[in-house]
Amino acid sequence: MPEPDPRDTRRPTRPPAERAADHAAIDRLASELLPALIAKLGATGLGELEVREGQWRVRLRRPADGVVKRDRRRGDRDRGERGERGERGDRGDRASGRSGHQQPEAAGSRAESRAIATSPAVGIFRPRTEVAAGTRVRAGDRLGAVDMLGVAQEVVAPVDGIVGASLVDAGDAVEYGQELLVIEHVTSADPSNNGRGA
Amino acid sequence: MFRKVLIANRGEIALRVLRACRALGVESVVAYSEADRESLPAQLADEAICIGPADATASYLSAPAVISAALITGCDAIHPGYGFLSEDEGFAEVVAAHGLTFVGPPAGVLERFASKEGTRRLLASHGLPTIPGSDGMLRDEMHALNEADRIGYPVLIKPSAGGGGKGMRMVRTARELESALKVCRSEAKAAFGDDSLYLEKWLDENRHVEVQVMVDRYGNGVHLGERDCSVQRRHQKILEEAPTPSLDAATRAELADRAVRAVVAAGYENIGTLEFLVDRTGDYYFIEINCRIQVEHPVTEMLTGIDMVTTQLRIAAGEPLGFTQADVSFAGHSIEFRINAEDPDHEFRPGAGLVERYHAPGGPGVRMDSHLYTGYEVPPYYDSLLGKLVVWGPDRATAIARGRVALQELVIDGLVTNVAIHEALLASETFLEGKMTTNLLDRVGSAAFLAAAART
Repeated sequence: MPEPDPRDTRRPTRPPAERAADHAAIDRLASELLPALIAKLGATGLGELEVREGQWRVRLRRPADGVVKRDRRRGDRDRGERGERGERGDRGDRASGRSGHQQPEAAGSRAESRAIATSPAVGIFRPRTEVAAGTRVRAGDRLGAVDMLGVAQEVVAPVDGIVGASLVDAGDAVEYGQELLVIEHVTSADPSNNGRGA
Repeated sequence: MFRKVLIANRGEIALRVLRACRALGVESVVAYSEADRESLPAQLADEAICIGPADATASYLSAPAVISAALITGCDAIHPGYGFLSEDEGFAEVVAAHGLTFVGPPAGVLERFASKEGTRRLLASHGLPTIPGSDGMLRDEMHALNEADRIGYPVLIKPSAGGGGKGMRMVRTARELESALKVCRSEAKAAFGDDSLYLEKWLDENRHVEVQVMVDRYGNGVHLGERDCSVQRRHQKILEEAPTPSLDAATRAELADRAVRAVVAAGYENIGTLEFLVDRTGDYYFIEINCRIQVEHPVTEMLTGIDMVTTQLRIAAGEPLGFTQADVSFAGHSIEFRINAEDPDHEFRPGAGLVERYHAPGGPGVRMDSHLYTGYEVPPYYDSLLGKLVVWGPDRATAIARGRVALQELVIDGLVTNVAIHEALLASETFLEGKMTTNLLDRVGSAAFLAAAART
């Protein structure tokens, strides 16, 4: 008689027929229930969702950090990521002239009521000293500037909210569209998140 | 030599400059707009930096953005490619003021050759024949009408700034002149920010022949022969070849020699192209100079074996040319086909979109300079050039034969291209006999060309 698989500690003595039934049930849950649950979670602002069915329990939890971080700093641009964005998937956005760097902002806003302030120019980032993490800001407030050949190009808050993490340091060289500052607890209706700010 | 060069351009020329930098062991940074994030030069570069949005006025045409990008990435030179900021003397000046080198003629030289009309006078004073034209810029309608009467119709209205056929019209009567002036002024204003116009005598059945020159900082100049760019559609070149079938070897040598002597005497520096019109009798007239690397430079590279972009970088870095006219030799015949995303069946309407499959032709004497790859999305914001198919053969007939094979082998699925017009040209008696003139495609009509090719 073969040794029981040491990894299978949960139900070591179940007969093959029962195990086959389990696999069939898992397959069904994965193909029918899961997509519906994912859609549900995506459409709400909920952080977690749990469903019980018979002896089965399915729980979906959103990752703690809902913001898709895409570091666009020169020099460490990830080739895999570029390949992925080259797929047809994001053609719609680009064809409509929407800039790529707004995508994580919109996704973040929906997920965790976060938004990202991006660089309006290529140059040196100079944050305002008054604007530290925790500062409450309104959409359009000046968060700092990017110095492009001595001319300050304003970095503004895209939404109402609270200043969170800084993604670059003061004095860093930044490119156009680069993500600079996270805005947390977005409270305003930003056009890019369909009013789901809160 | 430079340590690191910022490439302030896009598409195939950005790739060409990147390759030249690599060949010299120089690092390069590709400056790209948001619409070009997925472009081949941005992917292949040692470093790439986004300088602005898709709108070229805020990216490729923004001097502050380009210079700022060069400074923060630690570059010591900027290569502008062609178009965009390549002949902007103001840009060249600001580049120099920031301690960077502009890869092209220094600002002072660009300024001296900035006005087409002024350049005609300057080079005429150094021995180049010029076309009869208006006395300076056209002040007003009355001045234009008087000058046209003096020169004799037909005349060509030309803008002082820019190129590419914008703001240019041929008129045969005073009435046509009156109505075309306004259109040309507004076109020139929109395209170049300068609405100065002048008149030139229009030569029917002319050919466009241009001489390639290279002059270093120390006044050493050579010519790399000429190119024939007579195959045009609405003043846009679509096929170039060298040597020109319209002139014999002695006349070609004389033309090129006069051209290089004139520009050296006039204080030109870096790489440049002098454009001439050649009439039916073989007389040639200087029309303008292009102070940059040109789209069609590979034709000359195939003929001479000289890498013109690395030479341009060396000249800009202050190195002496390092060779003389006696070292330049010409072999065989070369033809370039500009492959554009244009629909020949619909008035050459430009297109954009996804390249579903791309295959570049190969074989002896075949070169494809292109930024395409399978899965690349051609953005709609810029010009329609997809690449340049260049063929070489020991003689014109062999080059044409290789061209046919290469055009057939080229695959660009997903986009409508102008390949059909090239195939039609290679089937046309006029082209095969080397008798193309600049107005032929427009006079006969591209549709007639395509239909004739379909019958053969």
